[in-house]
Amino acid sequence: MQALLSFENAPPFAAPLRFFITAPLLAALAGLTLAWEGGDLLLSRWHPGLLAVTHLLTVGFMLMVMLGALIQILPVVAGANLHQPLRLARGLHPLLLLGTLLLAAGLLLGKTGWLQLAVVLLLMAGAWFIKAALQALWRVPLTSPTIAGLKLALPALALTLLLGSGLALALAGGWSWPLARLTDLHAGWALGAWSAVLLAAVAYVVVPMFQLTPGYPARAGWLFPLSMCVVLLFWSLAEALGLTTVGWLVRQLAAGLGLAFAVQTLYLQGQRRRARPDAIYRFWQAGLLCAVFALLLMLTVNALPDAFSWPGWAVLIGVLLLPGAFVAFISGMLYKIVPFLAWMHLQNAGQGRLAAPSMGKLLPERDATLQSRAYLVAVLLLLLAVIFPEWLARPAGLAFAAAMLWLAWNLLSALRRYQAHQQRLEVLPEE
Amino acid sequence: MSHPKTPHVVDARYLEPPEPFVQTMEMLDRLAVGEKMLLLLFREPHPLYKVLRQNGHAYESELLPDGTFEILITR
Repeated sequence: MQALLSFENAPPFAAPLRFFITAPLLAALAGLTLAWEGGDLLLSRWHPGLLAVTHLLTVGFMLMVMLGALIQILPVVAGANLHQPLRLARGLHPLLLLGTLLLAAGLLLGKTGWLQLAVVLLLMAGAWFIKAALQALWRVPLTSPTIAGLKLALPALALTLLLGSGLALALAGGWSWPLARLTDLHAGWALGAWSAVLLAAVAYVVVPMFQLTPGYPARAGWLFPLSMCVVLLFWSLAEALGLTTVGWLVRQLAAGLGLAFAVQTLYLQGQRRRARPDAIYRFWQAGLLCAVFALLLMLTVNALPDAFSWPGWAVLIGVLLLPGAFVAFISGMLYKIVPFLAWMHLQNAGQGRLAAPSMGKLLPERDATLQSRAYLVAVLLLLLAVIFPEWLARPAGLAFAAAMLWLAWNLLSALRRYQAHQQRLEVLPEE
Repeated sequence: MSHPKTPHVVDARYLEPPEPFVQTMEMLDRLAVGEKMLLLLFREPHPLYKVLRQNGHAYESELLPDGTFEILITR
C-alpha cells in the first residue's frame, strides 16, 4: 500500500480528498433525482431525468474520483510526476463540480444556457487535466501494460468529452445530429476506452497487490487496452462512413473485450491468497458480476434486437454497468485509498513522536462492510425498479442515495479521526 | 531461493506492502558492491526505482509472460 500511494512529492491529503468526498454526494443526488422524478424516469434511456442521473454518476462520481485518484497515484503506478498537483486539484475540483451540476440540471430541466456553460466548464477541466497528465506521461517509457493503458486512456477521455460536448450543444441548439447513434458512440468511448481501460491499467497493479492474487498475464495486459481503443476507432469510422454492419460488429467486439477482462479478473480473485474477504474484495466481486451480466445482456440484445425490443433492457444494462459495476469498483478503492492516505500523512507528521492510528482504526472494516450491504440492497432495488418502475423507482432512488451518503459519512469519519490525531500532534513538543 | 540470474532473490509477489520494499532494502544492505539481486513482483515498483536511483544502484526490469516483473538490481 505504501508503495502504491506514498511518494515524496505526493500532494497533501486535501488535494485528492475533496474529490473523494464530493463524489458520493453527487451520486446521492442521482438517487434523490430518481426518487423525486419517480418511475417515468426508468421507462426509456432517453428520458431527460435519466440522462441527468447518468451524468451525475459518470461525471459527478466516476470522473470526479478518477481524476482525484490519478493526481495521487500517477507518480506511483507509472513513475510520472505531475507539475504542481495541488494547484491542479484546486483548479479541477470546482470546474468539475459546477460543470456536473449544470450539466445534470440542464439535461433535467431543458435549460440550454446551463448546458452550454456546463460544456465550457467540463471542457476546461478535461483539457487542463489531460494536458498535465500527458506532460507527465510523455517521457515515461512503455515498460508495463499499466503505462500503456494510462497513455491510451487519456486520448479516449478527450474524445469522450468532445463527443459529449458536441451532443450537449446539439441538444441545446436543436442541431439535426443523429443523436441516438452518437450517444452510443459517446458512451462507448466513455465506458469502453476511457473507464474500462483506465480501470484495467489500475487493476493490473492493485488487484494482485490488495487482494494477493496472481498477476494478469502479460499478453492479455498489453492487448486489452490497445484492442479496446482500436475497436472504438473502428466504431467511430463505421459511424462516420455509415457502415452499419461493421458498426454492429465492433460494438459486439467491445462488449466481448469488456467481458473477457471481467471474467479474467474474477478468475484471478478466485486464486487470491488473502483468506479474509475485505471491503475492496466484496465490492469488486459485486461489480465484476454486475459487469458480466451487463455485457452478456448487451451482446444478446444487440444480437437479437427484435426479441429484445423492450426499452427497459437498455436501462437495465445501464443500471448494471454504472451503479452496479463502476460505483462498486470505485467504492472499494476509496475504502483502501482514504484510510491509507490519512495514515501516511499522520505517520509523516508524527515523525516518530506519536504513532499514527492504524488504517483499521481510521476507517473500521465494520463500517465499510455495513455500508457495502446497504449499497448491494440499493443496486438490487434499482434493478427491480427497472421492471416495476411505478412501485420501486422512488424507494430504489432513496436507498441508493442513502448508501452513497453513508459512503461519504464513512470517508468523512476517517477525516475527523485524522484531524483529531493531527490536533494531538500539534500540542506535542517538537523533538 | 536461487535464480539463473543471481542467487540473491526476493520473491515479493504475494507479500503486502511495504514488505517488498523493506526486504529489498535489507537484502541490498547485505550484498557487496557490484553484486546483483533479483526482486520478483506483479507490478513495477516506481517508488523503489526512485530510491534505487537516488542511492546509485542500477536496475533493469523484464516482464515475463505470467505477469511477473523481474527486477535485477546491482548493489
